[in-house]
Amino acid sequence: MAEKSSKTARGTVACDNTTVQLLKANDFVAEAIRKEMASRGILLLNITSSAGSGKTTLLQETGKRLKDRLNIKILVGDLETERDAERLREVGIEALQIVTGGICHLEAQMILQALQNIELKDTDLLIIENVGNLVCPASFDLGEDYRITLLASTEGDDKPKKYPRMFFTSDLLLISKSDLLPHLPFSVEAAIKDAQEVNPEIEAFSVSSLNGEGIDRWCSWLLEKLEQKKKAFAERQRASA
Amino acid sequence: MHEVSIIRSVFNSLEEQFSAEEREKLTQIDMEVGLFSNIEPLLLQNAFKAVQEAENKFPRAQLHITSIPIKILCENCHTESVIENYKFLCNNCGRASNNLISGTELLIKRVHFED
Repeated sequence: MAEKSSKTARGTVACDNTTVQLLKANDFVAEAIRKEMASRGILLLNITSSAGSGKTTLLQETGKRLKDRLNIKILVGDLETERDAERLREVGIEALQIVTGGICHLEAQMILQALQNIELKDTDLLIIENVGNLVCPASFDLGEDYRITLLASTEGDDKPKKYPRMFFTSDLLLISKSDLLPHLPFSVEAAIKDAQEVNPEIEAFSVSSLNGEGIDRWCSWLLEKLEQKKKAFAERQRASA
Repeated sequence: MHEVSIIRSVFNSLEEQFSAEEREKLTQIDMEVGLFSNIEPLLLQNAFKAVQEAENKFPRAQLHITSIPIKILCENCHTESVIENYKFLCNNCGRASNNLISGTELLIKRVHFED
């Protein structure tokens, strides 16, 4: 915005394209989070989807498989209740609930505050389970390394074109509840084709937390990204030593 | 869905910038809203009226919204393309690209005061 002058504003005042504060402030905080995670070599993931597409169940399965190898922490956002964090703790993962109190998305500031309440030392992987909503969370960078969006087979294969910004900003699309595919008119091919029209670089595959399909592939994806992050961290450490 | 937060944020920006006296004379706020910003102009207008009345702010101001198309710049042939139906393909060479150059705007472009 133009410098504040002593003269009273009259007529038309150009604002030099002032980005609405909400998003500008968010991006500033997100960048601070990204730097903090880079300085500690922690991989930060932001998991988004509609409500009820299986984010928590996937994270329970992920936790069961990887918790003995990795130090995993999960921040989970919901409008109300502590239920998802409890479900994650049941399988032995440290989880902190962020109750948004009606807000439809998580903002970087909420993550920054939550980080005060978890031990980041020795953490390998920090996962944010966003509020179930394919619209608003798309616009809020949380400082993540990768954004992963789940699309459940029960939701219909037309969602990538209906909620394009979310798929545009995601790095990985997981078609969840793939065990139900034989019973549903859902074309995995059509969903992936539409998602790749919106975002040619998005990776995509199917997973089922119930029968285990794709879970190994998902864990390998995650471990590969973690290894890359650790490598970059080690290189920076060496360079600054 | 977060249109009310956006409007509060617009008001906060303007309150930082202009004195109470100036704000009384503010008649129009021009915003640019990208078609890829996930903000619906009609809902933004409704939120504007609601916050204006509820918080008794900018009593004379009207909100004017210009929609901004989604555009990409092809890394291959350097052509700009307007994106329709969310097909992120270059109109010239057909290559897929997500090199967005406009469409996510959420900007306060200008404000008008009574002379």
